[in-house]
Amino acid sequence: MNKRPLRVLLAKLGMDTHTVGVTIIGHALREAGMEVIFTGLKQTPEMVCAAAVQEDVDVVGISTLSAGHTRSLPRLARLLREAGAEDKLLVAGGVIPEEDRAVLEEAGVDRIFTMGSDTRDIVAYLDQWWAERQAEEAA
Amino acid sequence: MNRPIGPMVSESEHIAGEAERWERETRGPALEGRKERREAFETQALKWPIKPLYTPADLDAVGFDYGADLGFPGEYPYTRSTRPNGHRTDFWTMTQVTGFGKGEDWAKRARYMLDQGLSGLILEYDLATTNGYDSDDPIVEGEVGRAGMALDSLEDLEKAFDLPFDKLKYLMSVCNAPQPVNLAMIIAALEKKGIDPADFVLHIVNGILIEYTCVGRYIYPPEHGLRIATDCIEYIIRNHPNWAPISIISAQLQPAKANPVQEIAYSLAIACAHIDAVLERGLTIDEVAPYINHFVVNVDMDFFEGVCKLRAFRKCWARLMKERYGATSDASLKIRMMTSPTTIALTLQQPLNNIARLGIMATACALGGAGEAMTTPLYDEAHALPAENAIRVGAAIQHIVAYETGVAETIDPLAGSYYVETLTKQMEEAAFAELDKVFAMGGAVKAIEGGYIQRALGREQYERNKDIEEGRRKWVGVNHLTRAQEKREIEIFRLDDSMEEEQVRKVRDLRARRDQAAVDAALDNVRDAARTGANLVPPCLEAVKAYATHGELCNAMRDIFGVHSADSQLMGI
Repeated sequence: MNKRPLRVLLAKLGMDTHTVGVTIIGHALREAGMEVIFTGLKQTPEMVCAAAVQEDVDVVGISTLSAGHTRSLPRLARLLREAGAEDKLLVAGGVIPEEDRAVLEEAGVDRIFTMGSDTRDIVAYLDQWWAERQAEEAA
Repeated sequence: MNRPIGPMVSESEHIAGEAERWERETRGPALEGRKERREAFETQALKWPIKPLYTPADLDAVGFDYGADLGFPGEYPYTRSTRPNGHRTDFWTMTQVTGFGKGEDWAKRARYMLDQGLSGLILEYDLATTNGYDSDDPIVEGEVGRAGMALDSLEDLEKAFDLPFDKLKYLMSVCNAPQPVNLAMIIAALEKKGIDPADFVLHIVNGILIEYTCVGRYIYPPEHGLRIATDCIEYIIRNHPNWAPISIISAQLQPAKANPVQEIAYSLAIACAHIDAVLERGLTIDEVAPYINHFVVNVDMDFFEGVCKLRAFRKCWARLMKERYGATSDASLKIRMMTSPTTIALTLQQPLNNIARLGIMATACALGGAGEAMTTPLYDEAHALPAENAIRVGAAIQHIVAYETGVAETIDPLAGSYYVETLTKQMEEAAFAELDKVFAMGGAVKAIEGGYIQRALGREQYERNKDIEEGRRKWVGVNHLTRAQEKREIEIFRLDDSMEEEQVRKVRDLRARRDQAAVDAALDNVRDAARTGANLVPPCLEAVKAYATHGELCNAMRDIFGVHSADSQLMGI
């Protein structure tokens, strides 16, 4: 049994302001019993990293529908590492072309959900990760 | 005429009785022991129940009246068309959105599009520009020239306007929050090119209030956003009366999952907020309404919701102008619409299927009356920026609908359909009820500041997504006819990363060689106007001519207006 609900920071990185995806995810995660914190729009990697540390979240979820993700996501991953927060799960979603996937995963993005992903798969993935993480901590 | 002996029965009562008999004797028995395809038949967005059959009795039930509800094309309430001859004189203007890269990249793509038979273009800017930053601002790293054209200074626009202006009859510029800066730059660029502003129509989008409800490309708090939009509207009405100073992009609410009723109600509420603000500048309703009647309206895949929405939209606008403002001129009472198939019906999976969807939605747009212009999104939108092939097909779709289907040969051909008229009338009534709710809150600005519209949209977004995930709505390629191994069917367009570096270099180079004292003085004038309430367009025009940059001008206004930020509550999450 999970001792406490998973805490998730949802953020829109950069200037991309399409919010439908992140809104749907926010509702779905909350309905699944997770705690959801939303940063608001137009965040820099520095702002998201600071919010993740300050809010002490377990997961950082980034929504991106513009093309800036090949720069901003690796930078966020690096900032999280430098802040000693590399144990947080970094997940991204939105319009991310297949050929960018390897670069982002290499840079430290743990999982990419492209447009059209089922929210139930996302919830299941986060639940499983959380169960494993808690089992590790208990061991 | 001989009538049957017995109590007088109206024709519609007779048909209602016959419909009951049909249900009992014919349809009922046919259904015995069999199930219908669906548990509930309902419209896609509104989720209104759909009956198996509509008859004149349904028209009676909603109180349909030909004269009051439809009238004739070009006459109040314009349900059938705002154009007296529909599309028999001219087709709608066929346009497409384009924008990426630097000014010269845009000009090259725009020339290609004009060669494909388009006569109007929509210029989209990158997110740095629409959010009010220069390309070298660290906050926009990675975004320059991607979701649209990069615009830092007048120099960029001079390059972008290297176009055959004899072919370009209409240009829409999509730059909401920084609109006075953008408008000033376009005016200055036309002047430099020696183009007579009376020779074509510039249409600035300028519909800032919608940005706070969904799209989010705002800069300043709503009250200041409304004020600078009003400055642009007033400036255009007084100086360029053939231009269009605003568009209410209902087509931004629709992808944010506003249902047709919410879409009509919130768009109209927002239009009223803009109208009220311009009326305060001492103009009359019949001077103002003909400039604030531009709407961009999407059509989704539910064909009849789409057609009826366009018909109801025309009538709601006319009623609102007449009943709320006492407008009397034909120009005030007629809505001007650009229609478009929606991007949110398009799928990432099996993208070639999107061509079929676009054809169907464009047909619905045409059957709903099309409006002054139509724009078609492109089948590869979910993947990346559009490839040239997708643009060619997008343009062809409109020509196919226009020339090959016959849907525009008579005016409003679906009128009189029992289903279409029932749905149109129900939408109109529901939209007015929702609109009254917003007015009761104090209007659109108050409804936005309190987060009402945002939360309503957030709920729709979540619920409608669940319909797809749980299979209530079938969507080919997403939850129906899916293929395990999706192979890419199309080529995608990639931008070169060096473009951003080049754009950054250009704006820095410009700052080093211009007359800085002139720029500083011009920026001070913009701050003064922002503070005193003087119209912002003239000082912005002086400043862009001195090569003050887009970001500097937006920052000058930030100094006075502050910035807007939205939390979960205000974002409907």
